[in-house]
Amino acid sequence: MNKFLKRLGVTLLFIVFFIYILLDVDFNNKRPVIGLFKSITHSDSALEIVDFSVDKPKSNKVRPAANPDRNPYYGDLHVHTKYSFDAYVFGVTASPDDAYEFAKGKGILHPLGYEMKLQEPLDFYSVTDHGFYMGMIQAYADTTTDISQNDFAEPFHNLNAPENLVVESAGQRSNIFSNVLGAAIAKPVPWWHPRTLKAWFTNNTQLALESFEYNIHKSAWADVARSANEHNDPGHFTTFIGYEFTTSTDTEGGNLHRNVIFNSSKAPIRPWTRIDSINPEDLWTWQDGLREKGIDTVSMPHNSNGSNGQMFEMETFKGNALNRKYAEQRMRNEPLVEITQVKGTSDTHPLLSPDDDWADFEIMDKRVGSRPPTYSKPSGGYVREAYLNGLTLDWTNQGNPYKFGLIGSSDTHTGAGSFDESNYWSKIGLLDGDGINRGSIPVSPEQEQLLIDYMNAFNQPNALIELEAGKFANTGFTQWGASGLAVAWAEENTRESIFNAFKRKETFATTGTRIALRFFAGYDLKTIDLDSDTLVSQAYKKGVTMGSDIMNKGEIAPDFLVWAQGDKNGAPLQRIQIIKGWIDMQSGTPYEKVFDVVCSDGMSVDPLTNKCPDNGARVNINDCSISQNVGATELKSVWVDPEFDPTVKSFYYVRVLENPTCRWSTWDAVKSGNTPREDLHQTIQERAWSSPIWYIPAINEFTIIPLGGTVAIGDE
Amino acid sequence: MKTKLFLFFIIGLSIYLIDIGLNSSDNPKEIYISDQEVLSLVSAWESQVGRKPTEDEITRIINNLIEEEILYREALLLGLDQEDRIIKRRLAQKISFLKQETSTDKPSNDDLIEYYENNKDRYYVKSAYTFTHHFFSAENNSLIRSTNGFKEILNGSISIESDPFFLGKNFINKNEDEISRNFGKLFSQNFKEDIKTNEWMGPLKSSFGHHIIKVNNTIPGYYPLITEILNQVEIDLLAEKRDSAIKDYINSVKLEYKIFVNKNLEY
Repeated sequence: MNKFLKRLGVTLLFIVFFIYILLDVDFNNKRPVIGLFKSITHSDSALEIVDFSVDKPKSNKVRPAANPDRNPYYGDLHVHTKYSFDAYVFGVTASPDDAYEFAKGKGILHPLGYEMKLQEPLDFYSVTDHGFYMGMIQAYADTTTDISQNDFAEPFHNLNAPENLVVESAGQRSNIFSNVLGAAIAKPVPWWHPRTLKAWFTNNTQLALESFEYNIHKSAWADVARSANEHNDPGHFTTFIGYEFTTSTDTEGGNLHRNVIFNSSKAPIRPWTRIDSINPEDLWTWQDGLREKGIDTVSMPHNSNGSNGQMFEMETFKGNALNRKYAEQRMRNEPLVEITQVKGTSDTHPLLSPDDDWADFEIMDKRVGSRPPTYSKPSGGYVREAYLNGLTLDWTNQGNPYKFGLIGSSDTHTGAGSFDESNYWSKIGLLDGDGINRGSIPVSPEQEQLLIDYMNAFNQPNALIELEAGKFANTGFTQWGASGLAVAWAEENTRESIFNAFKRKETFATTGTRIALRFFAGYDLKTIDLDSDTLVSQAYKKGVTMGSDIMNKGEIAPDFLVWAQGDKNGAPLQRIQIIKGWIDMQSGTPYEKVFDVVCSDGMSVDPLTNKCPDNGARVNINDCSISQNVGATELKSVWVDPEFDPTVKSFYYVRVLENPTCRWSTWDAVKSGNTPREDLHQTIQERAWSSPIWYIPAINEFTIIPLGGTVAIGDE
Repeated sequence: MKTKLFLFFIIGLSIYLIDIGLNSSDNPKEIYISDQEVLSLVSAWESQVGRKPTEDEITRIINNLIEEEILYREALLLGLDQEDRIIKRRLAQKISFLKQETSTDKPSNDDLIEYYENNKDRYYVKSAYTFTHHFFSAENNSLIRSTNGFKEILNGSISIESDPFFLGKNFINKNEDEISRNFGKLFSQNFKEDIKTNEWMGPLKSSFGHHIIKVNNTIPGYYPLITEILNQVEIDLLAEKRDSAIKDYINSVKLEYKIFVNKNLEY
């Protein structure tokens, strides 16, 4: 008997051990046995497709004809409404419908009560609320819902009832904001709860969170999708179903936020969020899965400037070496990067590009959402350096994961993008909706204590800053600005046509101005008459445009055709520049150089410095008026790289600069009769950047294999 | 005999209860939680959760209600409701909601048609124009060159020397707003339904220089059938109804008030 028991015990132990091995063995970061089991029993709720299209009566409205030479369409792909947990906490009650009405030209109300209205309507727009906890905070605040009866929901009760929409509640709001991301909300239900099982079987972790209510979440997402489809008006106004994947590294405070937009009226039943995974590589795998089901998506990283160098890392999320597979997956899913938005511009940093006179532009050097505001390491956070690193990675046979095109967008949290320096409402509603709170107008003595309280809640010990111009709120909003726009070169204003432009990377970014920019490379563009009406169609025929590769053609240097048109309502153009990046083919060392290629006012580039002479455009800081009759309505030229080497991997992108104008902080001061702060830039030069054209040299007879052994050659 | 006595006792008790129920508001230190109040909370709970609340949960609901009531009464005793802006606003908001809610029914077809007829202009589909142009860039004496160019065209010249325009030469089915976005307002305001077709005109000034244009075709604007834009009309009508309900209400009671504001106040 005793023997039998012993035997049974040993057998059981063995079986348990065997099952453990079977289930838990980790092979290549995957658990194949568990995976097999899961694929039989589990469904993936994030891959369940729903057609959100709206029944609309047929319209006989005429459409503008498609233009084979393509038109520039201006839009914003980064807009938050009340469905975002933070927007709601900041007093925003604008719905996706309100946001789309705003884009079409209607005025909507700011939480502080004034009207926000565009000078000129936009061509496309996408409401991209945070997928994470979408719609939940609003449900907590609404005391008639069941979920609001829980303890964790109490701080949100009636948050945005009209009587609570006051600047004085800013401190409380900031606190609530930190709580959302904190543990109070992310508490799971007990392990034995039926929701835990359901979460496991449908690959839907959030179901197991106590503070989560799936129906509320789904209905918010359905409303976002419905609204996009309701407002889509082919030929006149395009919308995209979209959301923000709000993730970050778990140790270094690096923001890895991305927006995801969908190509049709169909989308999954719920967005894939940071609760599913904080690893962006998993997002791409999900996007690949959707693509297999016929849903195409584009994801676009933003605020790389505030990522503490994590957005364009030289290793994977888990710290492994990058390889071709990674590069291909990343480029398949995120062909575009948001280079500029309200929280600063990510072209380059003065520390990264010390020789670029225009590098110090709208720099936001804090990590996104950090408190107290914490310095963000520049390297790894800026677009130009990423392009250079991409060349080096390619040179070491790891593929180029940084071959993306450029867009701008606003990241507004009020439903309404703020693009105009002279009419600026910043980003987050009650917290920065007036000059005092965003630090451009001095604080009155009565407001001091309030600000100190508020900034303490924000974990910012230095609430006030004393300057010659007065005592100002040190809220950190001074580094934000009225930017930016995404522009797509598309045949017509339809979802399909504009989405295809995103996939081709035939896009450019602006800081909110409506500059238009053409950019081509080819081997006999010089033969095209720049004054010919068929200039553009010939350029398309003979060359490639922004976002593409130009292949080697023996020893011949390619011609670059640039053509920029100024904003009707903005300052005239000052110069067109081409930014070149390349690597030393012996060592992979990256280099960059800025060439002015066209100057305004009939001036020519100094061949020694590669710079245009000063055109004399100035700004009167007392009233923000600018010099008249200086600058250009359009600039155009063909350029050849004087230092071209046909064997060197390189890229070229265009930057167009306007004459200087007042920055929003100067406008705020001037309009209120105050002195602008001496520690901020008083003027800015609005600008546009094209997606690059990459030059691909002929393939060498030998391949460089770096020593060290950490690099995987070819596909893993 | 005993049962009759009991019956009388019950009747007496209910009369007593009804009596205190009716006079409940008289004594500020007595709190009566009505059955209705509890039942409505329970049914709200049930409709959200999908099951009846447990005994504990009901107790919690009722206790919350009692505590809130006590604090509210104490606050009233202290006169905390007097001259409180937030309370005033809250009450004003409450009555606004009440007045709004009375009008959220789905509008009838007749209502929709009537609303559409009254607001037709909002839904007008603007005229679309198809035109071609010669462009003279502001970078290069656009006024003089375009004036000369126009003369040449009138004299029968087929090809005149002009500049390429950034957005191309031919524009097909663009309405006035779209033309304005491409050329600026100064230029687009020339496009009216009676614009001359199939003849050259100009020079017209735009944000970028001067243009000589020829309109080939005009598709006149029109009022769409209501069936084409039914969704939009319904959304707009409901929004307007909500707004006007409050305004109507205010207007109807405003007359009963006399309002005094110091006209001589300096500020």
